[in-house]
Amino acid sequence: MSSKGQKMGLRSWLDDRLGVSAVFGFLRDKKIPQHRHSVWYYTGSAILLFFAIQMITGFMLVFYYNPTLEGANTSVARIMTEIPLGWIIRSVHSWSASFMIAFVFIHLLSIWITKAYRKPRELTWISGVFLLLISLAFGFTGYLLPWDDLSLSATKVGTDIPRSIPVVGVWVTRLLRGGDDVTGDTLTRFFGFHVSILPLFLLTILAVHIYLVQKQGMSVPVSDEKKGKKLKELPFWPNFVYREMVVWLILTGILFSVAIFFPPSLEKAADLMAPAPEGLRPEWYFLFLFQMLKIFPSKILFINGDTIAVLLILLGIIAFFFLPLIDSKPAEKKGKIITAAAYLFIVFAVAMSLWSLLS
Amino acid sequence: MKLKHSLFTRRQFLNGILGGWFGALAASVLYPALKFVFPPTREPDQVILPFSDCEDMKLNTVKNFPWGSKPGLLKKNDDGSYTAFVAVCTHLDCNVTYLSDQRKFFCACHDGWYDESGTHIGGPPPRPLRRLILSIEGEDLIIKREGVE
Amino acid sequence: MMRKKKLIVLCSLIIALHSFVLLRHDFAQQVAQEEKTEMTKEHESQDKIVSGPKDIKESTGIYVFVSWMWLAIVVLIYFLKLKIKEVDRLFEIRYLSGKKK
Repeated sequence: MSSKGQKMGLRSWLDDRLGVSAVFGFLRDKKIPQHRHSVWYYTGSAILLFFAIQMITGFMLVFYYNPTLEGANTSVARIMTEIPLGWIIRSVHSWSASFMIAFVFIHLLSIWITKAYRKPRELTWISGVFLLLISLAFGFTGYLLPWDDLSLSATKVGTDIPRSIPVVGVWVTRLLRGGDDVTGDTLTRFFGFHVSILPLFLLTILAVHIYLVQKQGMSVPVSDEKKGKKLKELPFWPNFVYREMVVWLILTGILFSVAIFFPPSLEKAADLMAPAPEGLRPEWYFLFLFQMLKIFPSKILFINGDTIAVLLILLGIIAFFFLPLIDSKPAEKKGKIITAAAYLFIVFAVAMSLWSLLS
Repeated sequence: MKLKHSLFTRRQFLNGILGGWFGALAASVLYPALKFVFPPTREPDQVILPFSDCEDMKLNTVKNFPWGSKPGLLKKNDDGSYTAFVAVCTHLDCNVTYLSDQRKFFCACHDGWYDESGTHIGGPPPRPLRRLILSIEGEDLIIKREGVE
Repeated sequence: MMRKKKLIVLCSLIIALHSFVLLRHDFAQQVAQEEKTEMTKEHESQDKIVSGPKDIKESTGIYVFVSWMWLAIVVLIYFLKLKIKEVDRLFEIRYLSGKKK
């Protein structure tokens, strides 16, 4: 009895100062609507799960990683061979990155198709596109860090792409590389991006994103909203959280199994003067962009083909940012075309990726 | 829901089992993580130096040698015999130096003093310097950790 | 006489067979060795590090871990399902009683 009294005392002591009971009260009252498309609500927390795993394994890898021209490749080799179970930690970090980005894509596409970005959730969507770009930047910078032949060439290609943008492009390339060429400075810079700058941005925008989701509540698909009848709801705590736990357990199990049985290997240290290795390909989530650049003709009406391709991609990204504003009448014909565009995008991306893989 | 003779309710039982399995799973993931974070650092069983290197040392001088990741000091005594120490202060792990003119080991971090046999004589050090066991086999000077055959 | 001849033939046959086998064996060994050195050479020149368990102890440890992990996951999901049923029922009871008021 006395211990219980003390516990209550501690709780109220903390609550008087922090006011967390408001948060708990909010979570207790939070309701998750149940309908045909409820399954997509789980993708957000799946991303959080993989992000948490990325943070933990990232902290561990940075204990041994050495971001210098001489040390990068050997320190990764040391993690893989000398440090107990280091190869598993690296493998989990690498696979979890892929899983996370896959779920970011699924999350975004599901929101696009169910039109969850409708008023008043435009800013939630925009912050989400920022998070997508940051996740991709994480993948791109992390790919260089083992400093082997493949990662060097992929970085050379990737950082050269902005150069095609008129006026500012050259400066973007220089900013990314820390000079005109990819050197040891690029490695140090990418390391800084990967472990310090990007995490800060990601955590800040993620906080805004989650706050907005809580403030506005879960969105309901257009078709269910039109019917106007009240949907069945589940309390977030504990009913929905238990369901999420089931998903987390399965995803963690799959991640660990894949990471243990298919660990990534390490090529020999990159040589800045060596010719590019054959079969160069970026990570799978950049494949469709890579292939698009590859098939673009070098000259279109006296203009550099690359410039047009890069500008098209930029235009696509900008349109993607403002999708909720473009899709102003979701229930009408325009809205349906935009939904069809999502499916078209999926088909396009999958086809381009397959083309790149098979050629 | 509570049975007549049961100590727990069904809910307590379920919560306990869930928590237990979660804890066991978490522990089995934590174990490899800890193994990664705390890799084994073993100090060497023995270090072999060519004896010719230390044969012509002057009396009452020392010579540095690496003892794993720590410095070792090989000292030639007045009678021509050798003693080897781990040259790390027993107070707070600073490296010590030998002052030939004063015939003392000195640790600059907190003004710790040891006499020429490694016994702590002044300042904060709580124990004498760690000694290593020496033997000469043919051309080699073999320096061993205490307790290693 | 016949017997002696037979014995000689047999002996020489055995020796011939034996030396043949020995030769073959030697040759096989040589080839294997050559192959092996070539493989290590190739490995050194490529210098690619393939990651995986270091020894038998580690690989058995991995199999034990993976099977234990999936066992724990299956058990946990089973009990979570029970728990979900319980909290859903509690919610429905409260929801209905709230409606009646």
